[in-house]
Amino acid sequence: MTHRLFMLDVPENTSIAAVAEEVPGVEVDRIGPYFVIASEEPVVIDRRATGARHAVWYSCIGGLDGCRIVQWDKDALRLERR
Amino acid sequence: MSSLSDQHLVRGVDHAAFPTFDPSGTVRFYRDTLGFPVVHSICAAGWGPDDHPDFIHFFFDIGNDDRVAFFYYFGLPAPEVSKGDVYAQFGDETPEWFVRSRHLAIHVDSEDHLLEYRRRLDASQWPVEMQIQHETIESIYTHDPNGYMVEITRALRPVTPQEDLDANLTIDALVDIVQRPGAGMDDLLVRKAELIVERAEAWQEGQVGR
Repeated sequence: MTHRLFMLDVPENTSIAAVAEEVPGVEVDRIGPYFVIASEEPVVIDRRATGARHAVWYSCIGGLDGCRIVQWDKDALRLERR
Repeated sequence: MSSLSDQHLVRGVDHAAFPTFDPSGTVRFYRDTLGFPVVHSICAAGWGPDDHPDFIHFFFDIGNDDRVAFFYYFGLPAPEVSKGDVYAQFGDETPEWFVRSRHLAIHVDSEDHLLEYRRRLDASQWPVEMQIQHETIESIYTHDPNGYMVEITRALRPVTPQEDLDANLTIDALVDIVQRPGAGMDDLLVRKAELIVERAEAWQEGQVGR
């Protein structure tokens, strides 16, 4: 997978990982206590679908491999190939 | 090497101290409004340099045997404060989020206890200015009579072991990248991803049986 986003597995983040898993082309795996959200294509996670409150949404990313953040606002998180 | 050399020996905050130019307001806020008992005070003649004024150093119990303390210096004129507090003043160009970044946060054990302090403050001349659910804590905020921002906070849930790992990976990544010119969040998240790949699996295996 080209893009990998790491997200700590804590209760606040599980709904975000679940929404990501529904995105076509995305696979959600694990490394240690982190979710690994992987895709070959750009990924868009809809913020409202996650139900994440402000503080959780804006602190949910643990690491980026092969991708960069091009949008991270009240509407969505969008990752593209670096 | 002594037997203490590898131990984490400290036991919380003994006291955090601040100057005040309004001791009566400070007492009304901490003792009469919040209900923090006065537990210690020192009436001291000016000592040391010739210009050191006489002062009162007084302490309020903030639980856990920890204390918040104030110095009142007789005769010292209060500063003009348009932004900031009596210890630190800022120009209009300084953003509010920066001014608020330095604050005292006092812990409570439950939502009931947080709301009790909210009730006490809201009935006073220092009502709660914000109540916010952060990532894993919920907090109320106000400013004391000296302009110091005071937070009272409760945990929304216990901290999990993986959050300690994550905190250490974040800080190691930050230390690695922060000297780079123009380093930003993207640099940190890329470096942190490398550290996650290096360490997260082994950490998980180390948790088995703990």
